[in-house]
Amino acid sequence: MIQVTEEVRAGWCVVAARGRADSNSADDLEAVLRHAVENNPKVAADFSGLDYISSAGLRAVLQAARAAQEGRKEFTVCRLSAPARKVFDMSGMRHILRIEEELPC
Amino acid sequence: MPLSAVELTLDGNIEELERLAQEVTRFCRDNDLDEDIEFDLNLAFDELFVNAVKHGGCKGMKEAARVRIELQEEGVRAEFADRGSEFDPTMVTPPDLSAPLAARPPGGLGLHLVRNTMQDVQYRRDGGWNHVSMWRPV
Repeated sequence: MIQVTEEVRAGWCVVAARGRADSNSADDLEAVLRHAVENNPKVAADFSGLDYISSAGLRAVLQAARAAQEGRKEFTVCRLSAPARKVFDMSGMRHILRIEEELPC
Repeated sequence: MPLSAVELTLDGNIEELERLAQEVTRFCRDNDLDEDIEFDLNLAFDELFVNAVKHGGCKGMKEAARVRIELQEEGVRAEFADRGSEFDPTMVTPPDLSAPLAARPPGGLGLHLVRNTMQDVQYRRDGGWNHVSMWRPV
């Protein structure tokens, strides 16, 4: 189960995900992230509430980041939970994504 | 002698992931294994199971996969088996983690995660089953 919310504040669209980002929920996560990227110039994903993420969840983030790059939008991933940090670090995400400790707004 | 063990059979349906995660979590909590170990076990079984269902032909198969977790003195032996087509996860080429975003293929990270969280990953094919044995020290 995953809960994903979208909120615009101070020029940023903040997408907050809570729960499990796995093969059952990756499509939902990708859909919200892509929607945010399509409709906003700046998107920040808040992953402080992710209890779990697998490669399927990671792929959803990568696809959204790619859409942002193609659309020349800003995309940042913030406040990684301990499990998310582990998976992002093992996958070399720091080389290709902007990852921040805090939200930009 | 295992200190404690649990076995689980899964149908070839991605929604079984939820039950798998519940059982892994319960086993870890019952045996006072920390959240890091719980996460690593969940991740390894998840990635192998999803691979077998999506790419190994296990989709829709009854009792397509078996999981066994065994607590020993110095670690956890994690065994995964599936009835899918023959596939040795230890032979897969690691992904290029230095490739830029646009050049990253969408897949290929799952087994990389398994090999980075688990030790002593061994594969054998036996009687129509893929068997993967892994070790997670405690």
